[in-house]
Amino acid sequence: MWPKIHSGFGYWDVVSWLVFFFIVSVFVLWFRSQGRSDYKEGTEQDDIFFCGNDVPEKGEDYAVPASGAYWGFTKALSGFYELLTAWHSGIATEYTGYLVVFTALMLSLALL
Amino acid sequence: MIASFPYLIVGLLFLFGLYAVVFERNLIKIAIGISVIEAATNMFLIVLGYRTGGRIPVFTLAGESKVLVLPTPQALTLTAIVIGMATTALMLSLIMVLYRHYGTLDVREIRRLRG
Amino acid sequence: MNWYDHLPALVLAVPLLGAFGAPVLGLSGRYARNAWFVLISACTAALALLLWQKASMNGVFVYVLGAESWKLALPSGMSLPIRIILEVDSFSALMAVIGSIASFAGTLFSLRFMERFSGLDKFVALYFLLTTGMLGMELTGDLFNFFVFLEIASVASFGLVAFWRDRPEAVEAGFKYMLISTVGALFVLLAVGLFYGRYNAVNMAAVGQMLHLGLPEKAALALLVAALAMKCGSVPMHMWTPDAYAEAPAGVTCLLVAVSQASLYGLFRVCFSIYGMSIGSSVVPWTIIVMGLLSMFIGVTMAVIQKDVKRLMAYHSVSQVGYILLGLGVGLLALKDAKAMADYGFTAIQGGIFHLMNYTMYKGLLFLVAGALAYAAKSRNLNELGGLAHAMPHTTFMFIIAAAAIAGLPPFNGFVSKLLIYESTFAVHPFLPVVAMVTSVLTLASFVKVFQTAFLGPRRSRLAEVEEVPGTMLLGMFSLTLVVLGLSLFPTWSMAHIIEPAAKALVDQAGYIRAVMGGGL
Repeated sequence: MWPKIHSGFGYWDVVSWLVFFFIVSVFVLWFRSQGRSDYKEGTEQDDIFFCGNDVPEKGEDYAVPASGAYWGFTKALSGFYELLTAWHSGIATEYTGYLVVFTALMLSLALL
Repeated sequence: MIASFPYLIVGLLFLFGLYAVVFERNLIKIAIGISVIEAATNMFLIVLGYRTGGRIPVFTLAGESKVLVLPTPQALTLTAIVIGMATTALMLSLIMVLYRHYGTLDVREIRRLRG
Repeated sequence: MNWYDHLPALVLAVPLLGAFGAPVLGLSGRYARNAWFVLISACTAALALLLWQKASMNGVFVYVLGAESWKLALPSGMSLPIRIILEVDSFSALMAVIGSIASFAGTLFSLRFMERFSGLDKFVALYFLLTTGMLGMELTGDLFNFFVFLEIASVASFGLVAFWRDRPEAVEAGFKYMLISTVGALFVLLAVGLFYGRYNAVNMAAVGQMLHLGLPEKAALALLVAALAMKCGSVPMHMWTPDAYAEAPAGVTCLLVAVSQASLYGLFRVCFSIYGMSIGSSVVPWTIIVMGLLSMFIGVTMAVIQKDVKRLMAYHSVSQVGYILLGLGVGLLALKDAKAMADYGFTAIQGGIFHLMNYTMYKGLLFLVAGALAYAAKSRNLNELGGLAHAMPHTTFMFIIAAAAIAGLPPFNGFVSKLLIYESTFAVHPFLPVVAMVTSVLTLASFVKVFQTAFLGPRRSRLAEVEEVPGTMLLGMFSLTLVVLGLSLFPTWSMAHIIEPAAKALVDQAGYIRAVMGGGL
């Protein structure tokens, strides 16, 4: 039931991966438990550190919005993304037009 | 050449319908284009069944002719006509609801979902 | 003459009965309709599993609709099969099982998800019609019957995508899907007409036996590939996918994923079992490979920038279909060459089929999780969500499993099928797995984004009273999680008993043809 899957160039073995993951987790949890003895939960040692400022009351004020995620990646590829989003124009007849163009392309390729 | 004349007409009709679907701006005209494409495809199926000099494919009414037109594509076409009718009905009702929401029938204006 | 012989017809008849019985039972009230919904869905799933078991024991078998005996494909000396013939082999039975499990999970989820809305009799009826259409596409052995079931599934899905008709975006998405889908289906009908005109038969096995490649056959292949690739959402015809998947109710999206896989099944049936060795030059396999590469890359790059969580997942749908197209395209490329087939071709086909199964399960689960988020937090916009992990722990746990599976992290099932695809496509050209791996990394990136913004982070003041979704919704998601975990922990069993017979059945064109044409009383 748990032998290896041979893919022709290598193999995948679930059990050895799970065993490895288990051993590493044991190590990680042991390291984590070697904490300081003067740590108490629920006191000010547990609070969020906000660079010395007060933590805002409402969650919205310090959450990183989803639109800001990977902004470096999107900024670097902004030329590509502008082309791509312009291509997904939202006009229904253009979608059908791409289907027709692709079918014409396939027909000419297949009939060659 | 004469024998493939029906196929040329069918192809031309199909291309007219495709042109209407891809290049028209009014939603109703796009729906008309879809109907034209469906008509062309149904005609294609009927024309496939024709045999030269054939009579209607009913044994008892064939008379002394030996050649009958094929009946199977006629059955396929009936099914396709019914499917086309249902699709056209649904498309026109969706267009009605779209007009009620957006106030326009221009396909270039109805694009809140994009990107 | 027991019901076990009529299993293929029952798998189609039971959800059809469910569709027509739903408005009748809806008259007795909400409880009767919900009970009917769950009962018929569970029944269909059980019948599909029995069908799969029969196919794995007996190999390919046929079911002739309306004949004196269910095996009577070629009665008394006819050279062409008559009547509509359902043909079931391991691959079709596997697709039927996957589809019915997705349908069942969507049913359980929709019980509570849809209860605030009216018109639920029609919802249940359309849902069962969509299930029937999908199962019909997967079990049939007849090209025109495939077209009819394709249209049944499509029209039912148009109605379901536009179900919330007071939302303008939903109706717009339904209309766009309808426009492109109708044109595609008419291309399929044109191709069926071309086959009928040449061979006087619409049965898949009969056409496969008599096929010799000429101009009309090449045209029919081009039309079928283009139309069926559109239906499963591959670039450049993928633009309806984010609109339709995002605006449909979540249980319906789970089923729509399975329906698009049924069109993919149709594509591979046509390429492997009808054309097979006579596919001609390698133009079509290379086109499928290039479509796969483009879908993978464009799907995932568009997904990274999305703000709507269901639209993001729908773009991922496009990219995952690219993986399957890549795997099966490489298999099709290697089909003629026996050495290439043994080296990498068969592994690529196995990888593609395994990925198809994995994808339907974890993608359905992801869409249900997105639906659960929308139900609990009343919003699909990732900019407005935050910190829901403590409020919805079960949903978070199932999201982590599904996201790890789609990103291809070991030990989940996504990793196994991606590994098979990477290693077999590397033998064709090194560029192919490079694109696949970049896509995998970007997939992980976008799901980390979803996880961080929706589940981690500070709780928004607007979401202070969010609580876990109701039990039946959790049960629907959990059934898919069980399948994902089962496939992850027992990959060798799945490969040996599920995927390898399916891949062998797909490649075995002669066996497919013999089941119909060699048959008789």
